[in-house]
Amino acid sequence: MNAADYGWLVLLTPLIGLAFNIAVGPSVSRRVVAWVASLSILAGFVLSLLAFIDLLSRDDSQRALVSTGWHWLSAGSFQVDASILVDPLSTVMLLVITGIGFLIHAYSVGYMHGDTEEKRFFAYLNLFVFSMLLLVLAGNFVFLLAGWGLVGLSSYLLIGFWWQRPSAVAAAKKAFVMNAIGDVGMTLGIFVIWNHLHTVDYTTAFALAPGSIGSGSSTANWIALLLLVGAVAKSAQLPLQTWLPDAMEGPTPVSALIHAATMVTAGVYLVARMWPFYSLAPDVADLVAIIGVATLTIAGLIALVQTDIKRVIAYSTMSQIGYMFCGVGIGAYSAGMFHLVTHAFFKALLFLGAGVVIHALHDEQDMRKMGGMGRYLPYTTGLMWIGALSLVGVPPFSGFFSKDQILSDALARGDWVGYTVWGLGLAGAFVTALYTFRLMLLVFHGEPSEYAREQSEAHAGHGEGPSTMLWTIGVLAVGATFAGFLEIPQVTHGMRNFLEPTIPSTIEATGNQDLGTSALAVSLALIGLFCAHVLWGRRSRTTRRIAEATAPLERVLQEKFGFDRLYDWAFYRPASALARGGARLWEQRAVVGSMDAVSNAGSWTSRLLSTAQSGLVRVYALAIAVGIAALAAWFMTGAS
Amino acid sequence: MSPGIGSWITLSSALFCIGLVGVMLRRNPIVILLSLEIMLNAGNLLLVAGSRYVGGNDGHVLALTVMGVAAAEVVVGLGLVVALARRGAPLDVDELRSLHG
Repeated sequence: MNAADYGWLVLLTPLIGLAFNIAVGPSVSRRVVAWVASLSILAGFVLSLLAFIDLLSRDDSQRALVSTGWHWLSAGSFQVDASILVDPLSTVMLLVITGIGFLIHAYSVGYMHGDTEEKRFFAYLNLFVFSMLLLVLAGNFVFLLAGWGLVGLSSYLLIGFWWQRPSAVAAAKKAFVMNAIGDVGMTLGIFVIWNHLHTVDYTTAFALAPGSIGSGSSTANWIALLLLVGAVAKSAQLPLQTWLPDAMEGPTPVSALIHAATMVTAGVYLVARMWPFYSLAPDVADLVAIIGVATLTIAGLIALVQTDIKRVIAYSTMSQIGYMFCGVGIGAYSAGMFHLVTHAFFKALLFLGAGVVIHALHDEQDMRKMGGMGRYLPYTTGLMWIGALSLVGVPPFSGFFSKDQILSDALARGDWVGYTVWGLGLAGAFVTALYTFRLMLLVFHGEPSEYAREQSEAHAGHGEGPSTMLWTIGVLAVGATFAGFLEIPQVTHGMRNFLEPTIPSTIEATGNQDLGTSALAVSLALIGLFCAHVLWGRRSRTTRRIAEATAPLERVLQEKFGFDRLYDWAFYRPASALARGGARLWEQRAVVGSMDAVSNAGSWTSRLLSTAQSGLVRVYALAIAVGIAALAAWFMTGAS
Repeated sequence: MSPGIGSWITLSSALFCIGLVGVMLRRNPIVILLSLEIMLNAGNLLLVAGSRYVGGNDGHVLALTVMGVAAAEVVVGLGLVVALARRGAPLDVDELRSLHG
């Protein structure tokens, strides 16, 4: 068994859970279904670990394994094999998907307990994990596209899981449509690749690309740009970002798994996987970084005024993926992927911790109705602080190492893109600190609201929630604390060395750059903590005065910079006006009208003819007689 | 010396027209059936006369068949009349027009 064989088995594990759920599920209890679904992902994690160990035991140059299962499609010169590619990059993703995926499945066993449609939930969750694994394991563009579409589908199904809520259904549709835009872009990109390279196989395409596509040529730019459209839609970056906050209508474990840890980071994975194309299109790679830096700033600012706890974390996710885009955009691929891994830990932790709070308060998500939860949920509060400090980038938590690596690499790059990323990224670190501590202060500290007190005291003595919800976030907190040590600047290079065979590093920051960036980032984070305490930690005259002074800014942020309104005016309204006009003019007049005319003509004719059937026997007799007479006359004259 | 074929045709035509006028003008269904019978028999007369004139038996056979059919038709027709009379329906074909289009 080598890593590629393990790869196939990993792909199979969620399908086993899904098949069990479909075949045996209806006749066993919900708990059994939930645990089988979870354990199938755990099996996937064990197999991913085996694949990882197998890769580690090989030479650097032997670490990319392609395994072709069978010949899948052949039409003329168009050949597609069912092939998977197991290399360091996909193995990192496998470990994240199955590892975090298992924890979130196990958490869901507690969180979804009592939901009448628990089995359907786990079926969708297994389907999602399969789709995501297909996406990262794909050995060619066709399978990548299949995985890409399937994660969109499972995301749609899970956002709209509580189909009784109209808002959830609307959010699901919004996410699907936004993702469809990305899918179209990506499909077109694959067409261009096929058109120029005549292959859809990764290894062949990557080998051919530098020779047949000129660096900076329009072909290279188009390929990179169209693939970027897919990445931007999936990762909720500007300008296709509006679906992610709405996607918080889904159950909290879904938000943690799909909309924080795995699916939304697929865009980062895509850019890293397609690095041969992005290295041929440096302008588009710069655009990736610019999109990332714009998103991280805007999303961070919007997060400041959100009142829904999950939406704050959702905007934070967009913002953090912005950092990853910056990383892969400036060419610091391993730094971007490293931030992906640490982010998966601490963001899943934050979401699931928020889930504990929501669970304790009976599905209340409004932070204004919380407050002082620290005294009721001390364990969760402690873990949430680990997640928050990690997100803000306070050493020694993991976010510190990964975010600062991106920023110091940007500084090391030393051109205008690098400096922009560095400057706005540091500003973003301050904003991150501000909104994160705002969340922590509003939810866990201060005086509990009346609602929070009532709910919590009614359940006093029941602990903080089901045990599966508590130990899973504990494991995530351990990850969020220690994952950063993989890449201590100038000391360890775990991630970079492991990814080296897949993606050669282009930038390496010097010790001084690392030190300076980290010092700045940490001080900004601490200033952010202090500001958050002034603004939201205590109620004073200064607080009120600041609130009044910044009211216009707050309105802009409440409007989310008007993106939703802009899209409403630019796309939704024209499209629905066109559809209404078409319905009135074309459908009502032309289509329905012509059908009506045919049926009216028929019934008018038959009404005319039916007058002949008078029911008067003697008239019939007369008609027959006249007819015979006429025939006789005709025969006689004709015969003569 | 029997009359020639022309006379038979004239007689048959006259009978047929009498029957036809009866069917068209009378309103009592029994009388209409009688008139129909006259028309059928006008036809039979012509068949037999024609058969004699040509010198075969086909016309005779056909005339017997027509009689059989006519008997059956009268059974149905008179049956209808009896049924109508039982229900107290008017014995007037102009009133019996519920099958109009």
